[in-house]
Amino acid sequence: MNRAFLQHQWLAFWRSKNTGKSIAVSIVLGLTLLYFFANLLILSFFLDKILEKVIPERDAIDSFNGLLLYYFLADLLVRFQFQELPTLRVKPYLALPVGKNKIISYLSLTSLWTGFSLSPFLLTVPFLLKVLVFDGEFVAFCGLVIAIAGLTLLNHFFSLWLKRKINMNAWFMVAFLVSLAAIALADFYLDSVSLQAVSRRIFGSILERPYLAAVPVLLATAMFYMHQKFLKSNLYLDELYKERTGAKSTTDIPFLKNFGMAGELAALEVKLIIRNKRPKSTVITSLFFMFYGLIFYTNREPSPSLMIVAGLMMTGIFIIQYGQFMFSWQSAHFDGIMANNISAEDFFKSKFLLFTVFSSITFLLTMPYVYFGWEILFAHAMLYLWNIGVSSLIVLTFANWNFKYIDLSKGSSFNWEGVGASQFIIGIPLFILPMMLYLLMKLASDSMTALALLGFIGAFFLLTRAYWLNKLLKIFKSKRYAIAEGFRNH
Amino acid sequence: MIQIKNLVKRYNDVAVVDIPELSINKGETIGLVGNNGAGKTTLFRLMLDLIRTDEGEVRSKEENVAENDHWKRYTASFLDEGFLIDYLSPEEYFYFIGSLHGLNRAHIDEELEKYDDFFNGEILGRKKYIRDLSKGNQCKVGVVATLLQNPEVLLLDEPFANIDPSTQIRLKSLIKGIGSEKHITTIVSSHDLNHVTEVSERIILMEKGKIIKDIKTGNNTLSELEEYFSVMQ
Repeated sequence: MNRAFLQHQWLAFWRSKNTGKSIAVSIVLGLTLLYFFANLLILSFFLDKILEKVIPERDAIDSFNGLLLYYFLADLLVRFQFQELPTLRVKPYLALPVGKNKIISYLSLTSLWTGFSLSPFLLTVPFLLKVLVFDGEFVAFCGLVIAIAGLTLLNHFFSLWLKRKINMNAWFMVAFLVSLAAIALADFYLDSVSLQAVSRRIFGSILERPYLAAVPVLLATAMFYMHQKFLKSNLYLDELYKERTGAKSTTDIPFLKNFGMAGELAALEVKLIIRNKRPKSTVITSLFFMFYGLIFYTNREPSPSLMIVAGLMMTGIFIIQYGQFMFSWQSAHFDGIMANNISAEDFFKSKFLLFTVFSSITFLLTMPYVYFGWEILFAHAMLYLWNIGVSSLIVLTFANWNFKYIDLSKGSSFNWEGVGASQFIIGIPLFILPMMLYLLMKLASDSMTALALLGFIGAFFLLTRAYWLNKLLKIFKSKRYAIAEGFRNH
Repeated sequence: MIQIKNLVKRYNDVAVVDIPELSINKGETIGLVGNNGAGKTTLFRLMLDLIRTDEGEVRSKEENVAENDHWKRYTASFLDEGFLIDYLSPEEYFYFIGSLHGLNRAHIDEELEKYDDFFNGEILGRKKYIRDLSKGNQCKVGVVATLLQNPEVLLLDEPFANIDPSTQIRLKSLIKGIGSEKHITTIVSSHDLNHVTEVSERIILMEKGKIIKDIKTGNNTLSELEEYFSVMQ
């Protein structure tokens, strides 16, 4: 049976309509993963040297033991953020004569196929080989690796279980986050508990008495069965897929009503962002970029080229993050938009309006960075002009070649749906172009003049927008069938 | 009202719609029937300029629908859930559709009162988004949204398919009503021969992209159609 399931998933991947393009995406994703893994391996290989340097008063293995528990807590937090629930579409199998246990074990086992299962070993095994096996302590090595495997599995099934629990009852999330915060507080601020000491004791005793590695393995097994049991009693359609139908929010934005039909459409898109999971998390993550400046401006004397990178990102983050997927956000009802009484001109104008509003908000939010120097404010203002003048135009031009459907109800982290070649290429004009222009203009004058010129170019495109809008409409007129077709065939 | 000339649409060299000539008069109520794959939905999409024609054209009020947007002002359509904006509540959706035609909220509220029976208390004021409604109720929202627009041309693709029997009966009287009172040019596709012969004055039967029958509805129409479809098996 498991073989049939595997085969079905395999077919689902290859026969999905996006396969042609998603192979390219998978290759890029695969290479990125390989790169990360290589980094982990190298880090692990030199871990003994690093630990001896950072904590010279202790043995490398001793410091390592002290850190291990922190690692697994961090791992839990990362898994909680990014790990996806295994998504074999069980619906078609539920009514067939397939044992529930079989469906469940398949769900559990395939969920292990993730980078999270591999990374703890990449990070520890080379190090442990170096410090233990080469010293002849092969049994201790086995004990520790088995313990690490046990804890990895424990984390894995615990996070799956927790995520499913949270789907049904959000208080579990509060409890989880509060207890993590309490531990961190007790350890780092109150010094009442030392996780490091606890960790050193746990793993130290495993080193001395390797048979103790059975404890984490037993815990993991218990967790596995707990998750299994939970799944089994909840494998009903209405419960597993329970959608929150909470009371509808009324979100009216009176300000946008001043812009006629374009404003109406922009207000509609604001609702789209607020009421759907994927765009909402995309926009919320964008807000975190507002702290970019803290990384860039606090450490050293801010150089103008740093200001360009930070300013471009911060004032244009919405255009970049949200805009790169235009018009896929509306893929589910694109036919409705095309067939209703909405002119393409208003449609595009609403996008410009949305970009301007959000960029203005982020520009205002980054104003406090003036604390680090007035040049920063000036640079942000110029790049703000550049973003609403030029970046928005670039993004909307690329949108005409984006035919990929996006399911709004899925989360945005590690979600590659809707990602295609255009999202990779779009970075070139968005980032490289202003940088090149800046460097060229800087050669001819000084950095402040070059910045001012960038802002001037942005303003120029802003003033001549009607002309560019016309060009966009011409492209859209010939591309709209392909866009609608792509959105329909998902 | 609507003229179709030499209209051809091919997928992989197979013509899925091939209509040399079709003329639809103002105020006609037309039933479009045919088995799955006959090309009904494709024809609707071509009429709405949602897919590119390979040959020929669809003209609405003497204007090619692919060349300008004038037809959108007087044409209302509901083909599938892709026409609904599913993260809106039904009210918000109706207001939005109304705003596209310059109708204010008060006007829409007043119009909606006429559909109280049709909604059967399951649509308005339920504090639900459209995506949380059942398929049948989504269909009700889509159909009413088209009627709110006061269209001159109305296109409905299988509106009877997902709705309960009482709603089917109400929908039939709605469609018959708008045909006789408001003189809206209506095209309705359906797999239910009873319904479609009952509401329409003219039946167009498609098979493999071609129109093979184009008849005025009379006493024998239903049996004629039933005969055709049973032979097909």
